[in-house]
Amino acid sequence: MNIEIYFLLLLPFVGAVATFIAGKQNKNLAFWFAETIGIILFLLTFYTFITFSEPLSFDFNWFTFGETTLPFGIYIDNLSLVMLLIATGLGALDIHFAHDYMAEEKDQARYYAKILFFIGGMILLVSAKELTGLFVGWEFMGLASYLLISFWHQNTAPADAGVAAFLYTKFGDIFLFASIGLLFYYAGTLDMMKLNQPAVNGMISTSVTHMIAIFIFIAAIGKSGQFPLFPWLMRAMEGPTTVSALIHGATMVNSGIYIVARLFDFYVAAEALIVVAAVAALSAFIGATSALVQDELKKVLAYSTMSHLSLAFIGLGAGSLAAGMTHLVNHAIFKALLFLAAGAVILSAHHVKDLWRLGGLSHKLTLSAIFMGMGVLSLSGIPPFSGFFSKDAVLASTILNPQTYGLISTLTIIAGVLSIAYAGRLWTLIFAGRPRDKELYDKVQTPSKFWIALPLGAMAAATLVLGNYQEELTHFITKKDHIKLHVSWLLPFMMIVLSFLVFLVYYFYNRRPNLREKVSAQPLMKTIRQVLLNGYYIEAMITWFAKNIVVNVVARSISWSEKHIIDGAVNGMIHVSHATFVLFGRTHSAKVSNQAGAMLLGALAIVMIIFIGSVL
Amino acid sequence: MSYLLLIFLPIVLSLLVYFITRNTGSAKYMALGFFVVMLIHSTYLYTQLPESGYMLLGSFLNIKAFDFELVLQVDRLSVIMLLLTSILLILVALSSWTVKKQAAYFSLLIFFSGAIFGVFMSTNFMWFFIFWELTLIPMYFLVGIWGAEGRVYAAVKFFLYTHVASMFILLAFFLIYKQSGTFDMTLIKDAVLVTPALIWWLLFVGFAVKMPLFPFHTWLPDAHVQAPAPVSVLLAGVLLKMGAYAMIRMVILMLPLQAQKYAWVILVLGLLSLLYAGFMALYETHVKKMVAYSSISHMGLVAIAISAISFDSLSAGLYEMIGHAFIISPLFLIAGFLHHKTGSWQMGDMGGIMQKAPYISAIFVLAGLGALGLPATMGFIGEITILISAIETYGTWLIIILLGSMLSAAYLIWTFRRVIYGEMSELVMKTDFTMSKPEFISLVIFAIFIVLFGIYPQPLFDMINQTFSAYTSIGGAL
Repeated sequence: MNIEIYFLLLLPFVGAVATFIAGKQNKNLAFWFAETIGIILFLLTFYTFITFSEPLSFDFNWFTFGETTLPFGIYIDNLSLVMLLIATGLGALDIHFAHDYMAEEKDQARYYAKILFFIGGMILLVSAKELTGLFVGWEFMGLASYLLISFWHQNTAPADAGVAAFLYTKFGDIFLFASIGLLFYYAGTLDMMKLNQPAVNGMISTSVTHMIAIFIFIAAIGKSGQFPLFPWLMRAMEGPTTVSALIHGATMVNSGIYIVARLFDFYVAAEALIVVAAVAALSAFIGATSALVQDELKKVLAYSTMSHLSLAFIGLGAGSLAAGMTHLVNHAIFKALLFLAAGAVILSAHHVKDLWRLGGLSHKLTLSAIFMGMGVLSLSGIPPFSGFFSKDAVLASTILNPQTYGLISTLTIIAGVLSIAYAGRLWTLIFAGRPRDKELYDKVQTPSKFWIALPLGAMAAATLVLGNYQEELTHFITKKDHIKLHVSWLLPFMMIVLSFLVFLVYYFYNRRPNLREKVSAQPLMKTIRQVLLNGYYIEAMITWFAKNIVVNVVARSISWSEKHIIDGAVNGMIHVSHATFVLFGRTHSAKVSNQAGAMLLGALAIVMIIFIGSVL
Repeated sequence: MSYLLLIFLPIVLSLLVYFITRNTGSAKYMALGFFVVMLIHSTYLYTQLPESGYMLLGSFLNIKAFDFELVLQVDRLSVIMLLLTSILLILVALSSWTVKKQAAYFSLLIFFSGAIFGVFMSTNFMWFFIFWELTLIPMYFLVGIWGAEGRVYAAVKFFLYTHVASMFILLAFFLIYKQSGTFDMTLIKDAVLVTPALIWWLLFVGFAVKMPLFPFHTWLPDAHVQAPAPVSVLLAGVLLKMGAYAMIRMVILMLPLQAQKYAWVILVLGLLSLLYAGFMALYETHVKKMVAYSSISHMGLVAIAISAISFDSLSAGLYEMIGHAFIISPLFLIAGFLHHKTGSWQMGDMGGIMQKAPYISAIFVLAGLGALGLPATMGFIGEITILISAIETYGTWLIIILLGSMLSAAYLIWTFRRVIYGEMSELVMKTDFTMSKPEFISLVIFAIFIVLFGIYPQPLFDMINQTFSAYTSIGGAL
């Protein structure tokens, strides 16, 4: 048996408890506990990766109720390993980064314990053999994200954001829960490897598998922030930036794509991939357009996450497991890089996140500017950075698949091109030009090289180096020999559009501020800007529905009926019995005349009864 | 004879405890000691049980003419209930540590323990009914004397409502006696009865009030809200379980044919309870009422599990009953504690309690997460087993029970937001949230149970599975 796997699975949870206890004794211990555990987790994963030859599979039973046994097995194959490397590698760098970023935080013990719990949830999720284990990890991550987003729970906004994160993802989760029940009933197994086999999914009628596949995809929509369950992703920006990096890069949002990739053959059999691609294409468009106008540094990144996860879904939906998964890997790295770089900017700029107050920071934050620039280039899809290859592959797969050729591939191109614009805009607004807020600029401090720049540099190097190993990555994930990844004509096209757009963006925002104001003062532009700024008002609609329909109409009318009908009937009976009591109580008064009258009436009644009885 | 003592001794003893400890304040130690003895005894009983069937503990008061024999017999189901009851009684005693008028309070608890043991141990309808009614008396006083502002209304409503329901049960028992000539519940089957359907309906209504199922639930929010917090635990953890326990006995042992026929009634009322109470909890701003409706909602799940009548579903239902007891109790205790300290029931008056009392808040959140069915808590195991077994019996459409899951997530997370998290309200800022040690210990024990049996439920399921596999061998309906 592989002892390192057990360590990998249990250490985060044991470590979280140990970190909490140690951190309560001594504030500084929490970080060192977490850092050590983070590095050990990565080393364990790396060791597994090096010694890996064939999938590791262990069968366990969780419990037996009645005659039914729920399994809880472990299965680690190439796909899981890639996810594990991302989660533990980026997780360790994130913990390292937090040393400075969270230095002023009093409650270190709670922070690091939750981070380890979060990473543990992801490890559990990707190493699960059955849907039960996956669901446990899935819910752990939902809980951890809730606790981390509302880490500063004493303030209103983070507390509200945590509620949003939990409820949006929980809405998806109940569909995953339902599909567990349904698969157990229809397929008799929850083993994801077996569900992929035609022998198992062929037994079930396609309409049922289609429904189950859609259910699982709804859960993925919730976790990976696709239309319409994405608003929590943007609200999640209320949490610490290191948490955003972890949620958006290393762990949580990847799990939605992972589950579709894990059940890829099941989705093929269920003919549900086109639904995945369609929803994702819409999300890619919404995310990319909304990212264009955001004023807040982290919100730009949040919308770009949504858009890029959609691209990974589109890759899967177009039938290319390789394209979707490589894009997921590449995105995880450059998005964690971008978030941590954003964290470095925010830390240096004393927690100012408004893009219009930043600007010209490249002189003071040179290293951060360079590393973030590399992240931006990768996100924009510029060779030789890794983002280019996978984005290109996604686009190629949509064009090659006749089902997705057309609208979906067009939306993919739009999202791809727009990503150059918003990423360029983001970098330009932060680093280029002259400082807009002189007072703030003077206060900006250069962050520590070891604690801040090192993790950024490591990620930037990874996104650059990985660009040269895309073939190997694809080969490792799909276990197929040769996959042609990209369409060649896209490269020059992208380059031309890119240089044009970056120039435009730079010119538009920095050189001619008046022009920008003039354009955005137009009523039409103003409306469009408002719609995009608010993410197409999807959140407003969902909130309106929940508040006005679910609570104020359904729950309120039920509450009314409880008071006036269900309990009202009970109280009504009390009134009736009370009234009867009063009525008959009167006859029992002490007056002789009343009693005599009653006696007479009674006697009369008896005589009547006897008389009637004898006649009948 | 010793078993007779187990029931009647507390009933007699309670008076004695009252007079001895009236001036000394040692009633709580006596009660606690007594409940520990009961737990040890129930554990001993469990080890002595035969593989299947009943273990006769003796028959007493044998008056041949009336068939009035008090037969004490236990099977696995009853012993599981005895274990649950005695654990809860210990924890209730701990969490009542600082209650006022202790001598009277604890002697009533001891009285209650005798009656409830009688319910789970007797198999003679007459005695079952006597004990069933006897539990009401201490409860009535516990709610009526130690309760909050509206205690008298709540106590009277609780007493009358459940008492009227008991009349249905009594009527059913008379009919059974008339038609079969016996009060022995182990001998009753549909076949020996003339009007089994009528009897089924009478019993069902009687038990449904106790459980409680929609629309017979309205006594519960009132009683729960007005009762002192530890008594709410008894109400939710023990009294409601009497209803579910009797329902299981009726469904699989006494009237299996009728139960098959009318399973849909239990199912529909269970579903209605689940969703109706879920929406009520969503709309509620009163902390303890929210917990009370959440409790009803979860008993709806138990009813759904019972209605599916299979080996799997009954195991799941019994597990959920136990899980519900451990999950809902700390919620009640903390809701009562918050009211005791702040003087307010309204969530709007609270907020930011995490900053003042982090450990109590953490236990509240943990229990709440259990109630919304998060993995690694008992709530999740209950939910997933009920889901799987309900789909097994009824098919795909039963996934609608997950709507209840969504509702519980919504009202609990929203409650956390209003009560535990956020900015501190003025009321919270000036309140002192210190809790006595024994009360806190009982909360911690509840939390440990929730997580322990949530991660490793197999020991509990071993007991439960044996219960129902035993029924198949003695001719149950499974």
